[in-house]
Amino acid sequence: MRGAFASTHPIVEISFFIFMVLITVLFRHPVLLGISFILALAYAIRLSGLKALLLTFAIMVPMMIGALLINVLFNHRGATMLFYLPDGNPFTLESLAFGAASSLMIGAVVLWFACYMKIMTSDKFLYLFSRIIPALSLVISMALRLVPRYLAQIRKIAEAQAAIGRGINSGNVLQRARHGLTILSVMVTWSLENGVETADSMYARGYGLPKRTAYSLFKFEYRDGLMLTAMAYLAVITIAGIALGVVQVTFFPLFSINPMGILPALFYLVFLLAAALPLIIDGYEALIWHSLKSSI
Amino acid sequence: MALIEIKHLSFSYPHESSLALTDVSLDVEQGDFALLCGQSGCGKSTLLRHLKTALVPYGRHGGETRFDGRLIAEISQREQSERIGFVSQSPENQTVTDKVWHELAFGLESLGLDKATIRRRVAEMASFFGIQSWYHKSVLELSGGQKQILNLAAVMVMQPDLLILDEPSSQLDPIAAAEFFATLSKINDELGCTILLTEQRLEDVLPLVDMVHVMEAGRLLASATPAKIGKRLLLQNSSMLEALPTPMRVALALEAPDICPVTVRDGRQWLERRQAAVEKGNSSWLLADQEKSGVAVASAGMTTASTVVVPPTAAATATGKLALPTATAVAVSPATKTNPAPAPVVLSMKNAWFRYKKEGVDILQGLSLELIQGELLALVGGNGSGKSTALSVLAGLRRPYRGKVLMDGTRLGKNQQSVMNVAPGTAADTAVKPQAGGLILLPQDPQTLFIQSTVRADLMDMLHHPHSSQAAAAIEAIATRVDIADLLDRHPYDLSGGEQQRAALAKVLLAQPRILLLDEPTKGLDARRKQEFGALLDELRQDGLSVLMVSHDVEFCALFADRCALLFDGDIVSEGTARSFFADNSFYTTAANRMARKLVKGAVVAEDIIGHFNERRSCEKADAA
Repeated sequence: MRGAFASTHPIVEISFFIFMVLITVLFRHPVLLGISFILALAYAIRLSGLKALLLTFAIMVPMMIGALLINVLFNHRGATMLFYLPDGNPFTLESLAFGAASSLMIGAVVLWFACYMKIMTSDKFLYLFSRIIPALSLVISMALRLVPRYLAQIRKIAEAQAAIGRGINSGNVLQRARHGLTILSVMVTWSLENGVETADSMYARGYGLPKRTAYSLFKFEYRDGLMLTAMAYLAVITIAGIALGVVQVTFFPLFSINPMGILPALFYLVFLLAAALPLIIDGYEALIWHSLKSSI
Repeated sequence: MALIEIKHLSFSYPHESSLALTDVSLDVEQGDFALLCGQSGCGKSTLLRHLKTALVPYGRHGGETRFDGRLIAEISQREQSERIGFVSQSPENQTVTDKVWHELAFGLESLGLDKATIRRRVAEMASFFGIQSWYHKSVLELSGGQKQILNLAAVMVMQPDLLILDEPSSQLDPIAAAEFFATLSKINDELGCTILLTEQRLEDVLPLVDMVHVMEAGRLLASATPAKIGKRLLLQNSSMLEALPTPMRVALALEAPDICPVTVRDGRQWLERRQAAVEKGNSSWLLADQEKSGVAVASAGMTTASTVVVPPTAAATATGKLALPTATAVAVSPATKTNPAPAPVVLSMKNAWFRYKKEGVDILQGLSLELIQGELLALVGGNGSGKSTALSVLAGLRRPYRGKVLMDGTRLGKNQQSVMNVAPGTAADTAVKPQAGGLILLPQDPQTLFIQSTVRADLMDMLHHPHSSQAAAAIEAIATRVDIADLLDRHPYDLSGGEQQRAALAKVLLAQPRILLLDEPTKGLDARRKQEFGALLDELRQDGLSVLMVSHDVEFCALFADRCALLFDGDIVSEGTARSFFADNSFYTTAANRMARKLVKGAVVAEDIIGHFNERRSCEKADAA
């Protein structure tokens, strides 16, 4: 189930992920991290389902625990000592807070990447890449076509050679290596030979004429513009909150966080809205479907 | 005005003394569907390539080529890209990008069109070709037939006035080929696009085209409509006669009419009318028939028609020492069948089950078959029926998870290294006679066998003492036998398809196998090469070689196989001697059988029908005398 956000323009999607990951990594504010983590988790579950996420958890949870342990065991900075560790080093409140924040950050980033992998398919990535370097998009597209073809041909040759007793699995190590190398060398000839026909096909279809354009399947719609604008507003407000010091945190030497109040709460709400954007869009669409269905 | 005008075109490749094209003059009218045919190497591809500057080969040129009244060389690259489309043989090599939609857009991107225009044109063509359902797919997921349709669509998005196709179906199976030709016909009918096509499968394309141009050795031999081309070729005694569809060959051999039946339906009607007329004693039926069609009757020829020799026989004996007369080949096969001597079973498969993945579907479902010493067994069947899989299991490349494969009654080991381990060191020491070795597989693509830079080196690679004098002698002997003696120092990739196949055969024969497994050996071969290849197999079998062949080529199997087995859904559903097998099938059978089933019992090849009627005629003459 990929939902409505997955069908927006790749520019919108990539902007969202970049914004979320940057805020998560650069400002280790516990509240922002908590919001980021919870919404990343919620969106990941919505995209792949809890069951498919188990593997992600299996990697993520040890990483989170590791980050926490390393901080409290080996980071002894901070003024507020809680007790002495068995090795005689101090266990500080600051290192505990920093460790918890790091652990939350790692978890959130892993979860955002899990969402990213689901949303940004290879053709979207390719499209974004080709916006940066247009000529490269055709090259990548051709490479994506050729690599599997070469592998298939190598397999075919290996099989044909095996059928006449020249397989890569027959003979001693030296003979096998030689058979393998001969196959690779004949592949060079094969690719040049077949490349001629590909080149003919490209020239016959006008490749090399000046002013080549790049076609893509993606359309930048009104709603994409709308979302990009909304995201820009939310991002600017969040960053302004951090820049103005309304939302701020220091870990060392003394842990301090901005006190709760109406103003910080407003900024938290703005960030929450930004992080929940995909879920809001998906939910809105689901709601429309529901009302459409019930009106039939 | 003609869209293409070729005037006195001559061409020779660099460093070659002979001309590849000699004084060819040819017109293709606007909106025509024209076929250019001839044997491989007759220069038809070279001619096609002269119609697009980007593809014209290097060499010395003479004469001129005009497109829409202007010299080709004077038309800009952009205009040529737009107005002249080109589709070549290999579905794989022509595809440039990884996605179907991108492939469709490729040409339009080159022209620098804007996104909205590309979107509209691509959408139109995708709808026309029925590509919508696989529009988003990766090219890798497509079948060969789909890829070739995609290549065609990727050219048609540029909205060309002329479409040139160079043997587009040679890599396709018969069903995909028929679909491709139907699409071509639709393009011609509905879009009015002019088409110039070269093709080997005359049986499929002749009913579709407006004009046929026949080339031979770089010259244009004849140009006529499909129905009239037969008589023209007969008068010229062309070797292309044997490539003509069965109905035409039968008609030419029996009466040599000016207008030949082209399709099986026409052929059947023609035979029935002829039969009725002969029974009534009315010999002028043919004349009446032709007058009805509004064609002048050639006064000569008609009376001598009965003495015309069977064309394929004449042509086959005329050229190439390997070519056995077709009629003889037919005569030989029944002889081996009527005498079922208890020859030993050399290779057998018993109740074999196979699938590629544990959770996959079963490709072979309890398949059993036996290969008898010295026979040619043909395994036929549609796509995905498991033919190639059965072959690789028999070759020991894959193992059935249930059931067994036996060679001479003993079980094949895992990844049986075929003959190479059976007769170590002695391969070159004995004369080249397929006796000592075991089993060997000639893959569908002969290119995959070549790993050296000359044919000779590749052949030497098969021998244990490649530099000994015996080795050299063995190579010379085998090269002479399969007729590649003058190609030994060429690079294997530089050979033509038929030559590559013979070189590959030489390579596997050097291992002195007793059992030869062939995967689609006649794919992409012209009629002449098929005859030669079949004759070569006959010859090898007389030396004791047993051959198992997987094929789509019904006509070839009918001519050369001893037994045929139909594979369907992983099991053999019917089996018998080639003759009874095809005579009993109603659809999966030869054109000759479909055409003359009611008149000539058990007719399987064109020669059966011809022989039947000629015999009757001589009987009647004897009676009259």
